[in-house]
Amino acid sequence: MSEKSAFEDLPGELLMWILIISEVAVFGAGLLVFLAVRAIDVAGFAEAQDMLNRTAAGINTVILITSGFLAALAMQLRKAGQRGKARMALFGASGLGVAFLWIKIAEYADKAALGIVWDTHAFFNFYYMLTGFHAAHVAAGVVLLLLVSWRDSPSNIEDATMFWHMVDLVWVLLFPVIYLLQ
Amino acid sequence: MTRRALYTAWAALIALSLGSTALSLSAVWAVGPIVAGVAVLLLAWWKARIILSQYLELATAPEWQRGFDVALAALCLLLLGLYLMPQVL
Repeated sequence: MSEKSAFEDLPGELLMWILIISEVAVFGAGLLVFLAVRAIDVAGFAEAQDMLNRTAAGINTVILITSGFLAALAMQLRKAGQRGKARMALFGASGLGVAFLWIKIAEYADKAALGIVWDTHAFFNFYYMLTGFHAAHVAAGVVLLLLVSWRDSPSNIEDATMFWHMVDLVWVLLFPVIYLLQ
Repeated sequence: MTRRALYTAWAALIALSLGSTALSLSAVWAVGPIVAGVAVLLLAWWKARIILSQYLELATAPEWQRGFDVALAALCLLLLGLYLMPQVL
């Protein structure tokens, strides 16, 4: 009689979970270093952070969370055999991903107009590195969601939506540390 | 996961996100930065937990969910410790 592996309890692909844990570990390490460097220049980091648009970042959080909801809904709909509705939900999720990127690009353009670049202050090193790396994941996720709305097997949609939830998960940790902790 | 659980998770995530954004725009940081910092990171941990349990369906694997809860709590506690370090030293 074969014993049941603990990994069998995990919903979705094991490889996707390895990716999720790796990504959260990488971003988590980046955030820890960010706060460690902040500890030696609290005033400088506070001054730099005040130049960020917290409201726009808050709106982006709502956009990404809603996009994650549509991705999870797409998975449920596809499992129920409602392929057309699942595709619509995936289009909605990817459209909101594009909206997130549009706001992020506007945020970067505002900073550039003020003459703020990555080496203006240590804060902006981390700001551009962490939010830029995250935005690259959002762009990849948008492409994945569009791909699986075309090749819409349940396993394809599951993998793409797990990737998208990882992007969501990283953002809810990154947003408060970079934008909110004062 | 039921459709109702998914809607509930989304509503909770929106409420928690609006809460942390409102907190960041309030004057509470000038009065009690430690309490505000603890609240912001607690809200972040809670949001991450909901994404894992509902969007990523870890609620169907309670043992794994507990493991992720503990790991995320450890990360948030480390973040909190580094945030508080300049204020308590």
